[in-house]
Amino acid sequence: MRSSLGYLKPYRKSLALGVAMLLLTNVFYLGVPEALGHAVDALGVRSPDYILQLVGLMVAFALLTAMTRIASRILIFNSGRAAEYDLRSDLFGHLMTLSPAYYRDHPTGDVMSRLTNDVQTVRGMWGAGLLNLANAVLAFVTVLGRMLWADPIVTMWAILPFPLIYVVGQAMSRRIYGTMRSVQAELGALSTRIQEDLSAIQVIKTYGLEGVRRKGFIARSEKLLRENMEAAKVRIQLGPMLNTLAAMSMAILILFGGRALIHGDMSKGELVAFSGYLVRLVWPTLTLGFMLALVQRGRASWSRLVQLQDTKPDIAEGTGTALPASKLPAKVEVKELTIKIGERAILDHVSITLAPGTVTAIVGRTGAGKSTLVDALCRLIDVPTGAVFIDGRDITTLPLSSLRAQIGYAPQEAFLFSTTIADNVAMGYGGGTAIPAARAKELERVIGMAASEDLRAEPKVTAAATAAGLARDLQAMPEGLGTIVGERGITLSGGQRQRVALARALAAAPRLLVLDDSLSSVDAETERTILKHLRDVMSGRTAVLISHRVAAIKDADQIIVLDQGKVVARGTHEELLAQPGTYQDLYKSQLDVDAVKRQAVG
Amino acid sequence: MAAPMASQPQTPPSPGGGGAASARVGAAEEVVLGKAYDIALMRRLWPFIRPHWKLLLAWACFMPVTIALELAQPAVFRYALTTHILTGNIAPLPFDAAAYLALVLAQGASGFCETWYLQLAGQRTMHALRIAIFDKVLSQRAAFFDRIPVGRLMTRMTNDIESLNEMFAQGAITLIADFVKMIAIVIVMLTIDATLAVLTFLTLPLLVVLVEYARRLMRASFRQIRVRLAAMNAFAQEHLSGIKVVQLLGRSTTAQREYDEINAGHRDAYLGQIRADSAMYAIVEAIGSMAIGVVIWYAGGHRAESIPMIGVVVVFIEYINKFFIPVRDLSQKYAVMQGAMAASERIFQLLDTDEPDGAADPKATRGDGAAAKPNKQAPAIELANVHFSYGAEPILRGLDMRVPRGATVAVVGATGSGKSTVIKLLTRLYERDRGAIKLDGVDIRDLPLAELRRRITVVSQDVLLFAGTLAENIAMGQEYTRDQLDEAVRRVGLDRALARRESGLDTKVAERGSNFSAGERQLVAFARALLRDPEILILDEATAHVDPEAERLIEKGVAELMKGRTTLVIAHRLSTIRNADLIVVVDKGTVLEQGAHDELVAKGGYYAALERTFRRQDADET
Repeated sequence: MRSSLGYLKPYRKSLALGVAMLLLTNVFYLGVPEALGHAVDALGVRSPDYILQLVGLMVAFALLTAMTRIASRILIFNSGRAAEYDLRSDLFGHLMTLSPAYYRDHPTGDVMSRLTNDVQTVRGMWGAGLLNLANAVLAFVTVLGRMLWADPIVTMWAILPFPLIYVVGQAMSRRIYGTMRSVQAELGALSTRIQEDLSAIQVIKTYGLEGVRRKGFIARSEKLLRENMEAAKVRIQLGPMLNTLAAMSMAILILFGGRALIHGDMSKGELVAFSGYLVRLVWPTLTLGFMLALVQRGRASWSRLVQLQDTKPDIAEGTGTALPASKLPAKVEVKELTIKIGERAILDHVSITLAPGTVTAIVGRTGAGKSTLVDALCRLIDVPTGAVFIDGRDITTLPLSSLRAQIGYAPQEAFLFSTTIADNVAMGYGGGTAIPAARAKELERVIGMAASEDLRAEPKVTAAATAAGLARDLQAMPEGLGTIVGERGITLSGGQRQRVALARALAAAPRLLVLDDSLSSVDAETERTILKHLRDVMSGRTAVLISHRVAAIKDADQIIVLDQGKVVARGTHEELLAQPGTYQDLYKSQLDVDAVKRQAVG
Repeated sequence: MAAPMASQPQTPPSPGGGGAASARVGAAEEVVLGKAYDIALMRRLWPFIRPHWKLLLAWACFMPVTIALELAQPAVFRYALTTHILTGNIAPLPFDAAAYLALVLAQGASGFCETWYLQLAGQRTMHALRIAIFDKVLSQRAAFFDRIPVGRLMTRMTNDIESLNEMFAQGAITLIADFVKMIAIVIVMLTIDATLAVLTFLTLPLLVVLVEYARRLMRASFRQIRVRLAAMNAFAQEHLSGIKVVQLLGRSTTAQREYDEINAGHRDAYLGQIRADSAMYAIVEAIGSMAIGVVIWYAGGHRAESIPMIGVVVVFIEYINKFFIPVRDLSQKYAVMQGAMAASERIFQLLDTDEPDGAADPKATRGDGAAAKPNKQAPAIELANVHFSYGAEPILRGLDMRVPRGATVAVVGATGSGKSTVIKLLTRLYERDRGAIKLDGVDIRDLPLAELRRRITVVSQDVLLFAGTLAENIAMGQEYTRDQLDEAVRRVGLDRALARRESGLDTKVAERGSNFSAGERQLVAFARALLRDPEILILDEATAHVDPEAERLIEKGVAELMKGRTTLVIAHRLSTIRNADLIVVVDKGTVLEQGAHDELVAKGGYYAALERTFRRQDADET
């Protein structure tokens, strides 16, 4: 990953210009106390016209200061924002390459907090941090230079407390950082506790634990309160301390400047100008302490981002050429595939051949390895080389995009984006937009972002929706395919979601169709209708079907029975029925249910 | 003139370019645009602040003291200059310097106290608010938690509370102090030289116009920023949760393009805000300089009394500086307030949610239980024609079931048949849609919720342990003696499982009980249940595989627990099912068949087939 400053590099020209403007600002800013000093000396001595000229000069300096100030702030802040854009973009791109396994181990909330909070803190370091630090340094250089030139001796006395200001500022910002970390840790502990309570809510309710958990929560919250006050104590000391140190130079000026004036070494105008100069240093001094804390916080956030960015995608992109475009069904071979998680073999020497245009059903108990097998076909979980082939090519040599372009996959947990049903279906063939529909409308209204294309009449979408058995449901929705689902849209039932996901897989017109128990929430009646449709759709494709329902799989060309990661039986429905085992049991139990039901109805 | 007191020692200088308001965006951000001030929200916040009025009073007492001490400093300088320095009187200068320093120190001390009390009031308010949210959330019914993601609730209680707290640290309330100080400065200047003061503040209308203009620009800007930020985060959140689908669809490139589009929109939204903020900062600074010019110009016309005039010039310049700094930093405070108001709006939205659990909802509880007399002849548990659905999916469709007193009833059925839902309805985590559920002939809705849940203890298949000690996890909030705990541990056989752990009952339990095996967790749950000694035990048997030794321990533990108790088992083990007095086979939310083991096997229906599968599994595993 680029270093933090690396992100500012593309903007070094505007940053340099911004710092140059800041230097000018500080120089021009000196003009005000300068003119003021001259004016005080001129009071009662020179003509009012002269003083008016000085006033004119002051106004001119004030205007110049304002112009350069505006320019410097805009240049530096905009660079910070631009670098923030780059950083976000890089991070998001990187996050899209990490495998689902990564997200199982890293809660989305934590990753999101890095993408939002940490990025903002880093940007704070780049924008406000840089600007104020540069400003402080330049203010010191210009003001001290001017003072030394005017009266080295009084200056030396007056700036005596300033090194102390730096020391105190440093020490205090370290302490602030320390207490801040304690607050963060306590906040983390509180979050963990809330998370624990919320995930255990049913236990808490059934065991009547509300009171105990509440007491514990209050104790944690009180602890956070104390840590916060501890941090506040340090933080609010800093202001008065730095202020007192800065005020000491004023007191010194009264003493030594006053003496120099009485001895005739200094004019009264110079004394007034000096006090003006010192005022110019107060704000940068106070800023320094805060900015050091800001930079430290920025660095802490940066290290969290580096950690994220340094996570290598655990599924390596294949380096071979892409598969040539083809509409023919795919041929898939799995040879002696073994996948282990830790010590446990999820798949244990599995070998299967999917002949082009055939339907293969996979059955087995929960945890038998069915989903892992189909994940392996799509390389959602990594496979060893020489184990899985599509059209004779080892899938680990294929670019991931090329591999996945061959496959239409309808998972059991149907994930839909918060946009229209049409958009969700169109994503199957690479169309549609995933920008949340409700947000898109706001973006359109606020910034005139182009509205997404209307896909409701797109034949590929309507055909897929019909094939997935959505037609009747869509008729019941006033907006039809334009219905927004998810966030601030309507909530579809589990079965409806699965069918939208199925339509998405079908819209891809894939060479290999994978249905991972993707009709489990659909009632038997609807399933039968969909399966009838699917037979047409599946012709001319290779298909893999995971299901618990015998009715769904009995027409498959081959049925694979998995148990504890091993293929324990394979064959056609009739072949498997002829031998005792899991399949026979499954068949009988379901057959009997139907029989019993018929009895009950009859 | 240089009393180097900053207006707000506790306030960091303007970070510009956005400020702290937008710095905290929760992962689950809803679009709340937020105004910088909202009377309605302030009024709602007041009940949380009010109990700490003494702290606010202390703050209000220190605040004018701090201001007075600060504003006295330029006066000392003026005095030293006009009466000593300019008249050549060198001797009292050390006293002047000391007086000046003393004022600064006193101001520092008073300022510290002022901020301290304000912070304390803020922190205590936030503490109260956190507890209010906690109470609110915990009293919601289970369905609420199905709908609202845990992450969002956490954001309310952490990030949003913190942003709201910024209001105390650097927002509205410090604005009051700034305002008081500005008025004090105007008054002091008027008393020193009314004409000059009026001349100086001729610049004020310009300032007001400018601030109002900048405020409008920023308001529009912030609105845009929030919309885009929310869109960007919603987009990222969704793509992270759906990463599998994103990758399967080969959508990474499209996603990046769409994200960058919103990201660029977000960056550009700041252009306006940065321009407004920079312009305001610089122009306010310039107006301050010009006001100093006015003072000089005025002084230039009074050539006669030079020395007192210099004094006036010196204090005026200092007061002008002090006057303009708060105005200059207004844009930063505006950003803080905006963030705080948006956060409080989200918090109050949550506090306005009202889907209380049965206990808290008088509509759901018909009586207090006094009216309904338990009938000892009635079955311990009775479900009659119970219907239930989560949203659109019907789960139970007219389920009937009776558990006689003291009997063990096993419920069997496939995943999704509705077995586990029965437990949730019995304990009123969810309310049935239709039908009746009775305990000893009394409708459970007529029982106080606490009583219902005391009489029924659920041992679920996925045992949740809380971070803490083992003893705490067994006692579950009740007071038991060490002997009682030991006894329970021994009876369920947990002592043997614990033999390897040296600290016994004091063993630390890691978060989510991750340092305990599935078998151990089961035994902990048994010990919990045994101590509660419930009238009715509901056992949701684990399907997870445990090693044979643990299996034996669990079987023994279950037997001990069930002894002499009405038990409803959601069964997955053949041994449990066989030993039950009655087996109820559930399919698709209705009872398919019921009877004793032998009867059902003889009948040759669903259970008979199921039993064969069970037998085979048992054979596979041993």
